[in-house]
Amino acid sequence: MLERSHIQSTGFHNIGPVGARTGFELRIRQPNYRSSRLSLIEGVDLVIDGVEYPAEQSRIRVGDRDYSHAEMAGETVARLYVGRFFTVIVPRPGGLAPGIHHVASSIRFRHPYFPPEFQPVFVRDARHATIIIP
Amino acid sequence: MSAFKYGVSLYSYTEDLGTVMTLEDAFDHVAGTGSTGIEILGETSIPTYPEPTTQWLDTWFALLDRYHLEPTNMAAWVDTRITIGRNMTVDEGTAQIALDLRLAHRLGFKFLRPKFGVIDGELTPDPIWEPAVERNLDLAHQLGIVILPEIHAPTPIRHPVTDAYIAFIERTGTKNFGLMIDTGIFQDRPLNKWGGGETDEIRKGALSFLNGIKVPVEHLVDVIKYVPFIQAKFHQIDENLHDHHIPWDRIVPMLKKLGYAGYLSSEYEGARDPWLSIEQVRRQHALIRKLETEYDAAHGGTVHA
Repeated sequence: MLERSHIQSTGFHNIGPVGARTGFELRIRQPNYRSSRLSLIEGVDLVIDGVEYPAEQSRIRVGDRDYSHAEMAGETVARLYVGRFFTVIVPRPGGLAPGIHHVASSIRFRHPYFPPEFQPVFVRDARHATIIIP
Repeated sequence: MSAFKYGVSLYSYTEDLGTVMTLEDAFDHVAGTGSTGIEILGETSIPTYPEPTTQWLDTWFALLDRYHLEPTNMAAWVDTRITIGRNMTVDEGTAQIALDLRLAHRLGFKFLRPKFGVIDGELTPDPIWEPAVERNLDLAHQLGIVILPEIHAPTPIRHPVTDAYIAFIERTGTKNFGLMIDTGIFQDRPLNKWGGGETDEIRKGALSFLNGIKVPVEHLVDVIKYVPFIQAKFHQIDENLHDHHIPWDRIVPMLKKLGYAGYLSSEYEGARDPWLSIEQVRRQHALIRKLETEYDAAHGGTVHA
């Protein structure tokens, strides 16, 4: 089972070759009460230690497949299921330094059954999370 | 004298399911309330929705048997604004409802609640709802399922949305479409916290909704003949068995007076601290059963165990 927080401890790590990291990844638990078609997730914005990583520049991995921001918007069949996580893949040359970081996430959910003025809804979380390996 | 049926929607255990509670745990908690019915959210409870695996189906039927529960309502969604730039067509809406009808039937459900996308702040459903439902009435009849849109705050009973659903029933003469009442419409005191996903934006923009729309319980008289199922929405019941928002002491006598004999399916939507929902649902069942017993005793009817 997953941690209660949306942001998950496990899975927060650098990516790319050691010594030439290209970015980092972060797992987020699907926080909605129902599974969502990927097209209903309008983006996932991150702020790490005060630095913004807007959704449009990241990719999202659901299961074994990675999606660009535009691909997510058009994916009306694949779903993000309750009780599962997705992974935000963020480009950042050099990756993140080992140690504890302050991580904030904001998911833009579009709920078609909400009045149009409440679309999207921002579902937020923030906590500390740890990078172990440079 | 008519008697309520008691059930629980797994929506009550939102956030716990998938973090600190398994599906079998949830069955145990539902059965532990003395309920006979279980309500699920199709795309939430079925890990590979819309196509359950054989293994999941085996588990589902084994749990129903072990815990002596019957499937009541399956909640589903018609995500009309399917992408940012495009709304579902009537064909797509029809296909979505047909898919959920077949799935609900396969799992043993008698009711399907499709939640349609809306076009305004009064929750007016996307106009595709009517042709999409109408094209499925024969299928629903064949499968023995009643399609139930919910009357949910901020939409009251006396409202064009409700009127349109009733006009549809009268025009088609169907027995496979009705109304589901969400008891949140009777909320008469403000919410401090909204378990359904409160955000600052919603709080600022929807104060009337959070304050409760205070529908008089007497308005049930207008629609009760179309209502075979009720979602018993609530948010907080304290240690003195006092509900802070929903006036059960008025709702229960009115439903009894009207002879309602369908399900009251708990829908807890309060604070989401781990496991808090388990006790909250139990308190609601204790409260409603107490009020039902008192009504029956005062009217010379059967006292229910």
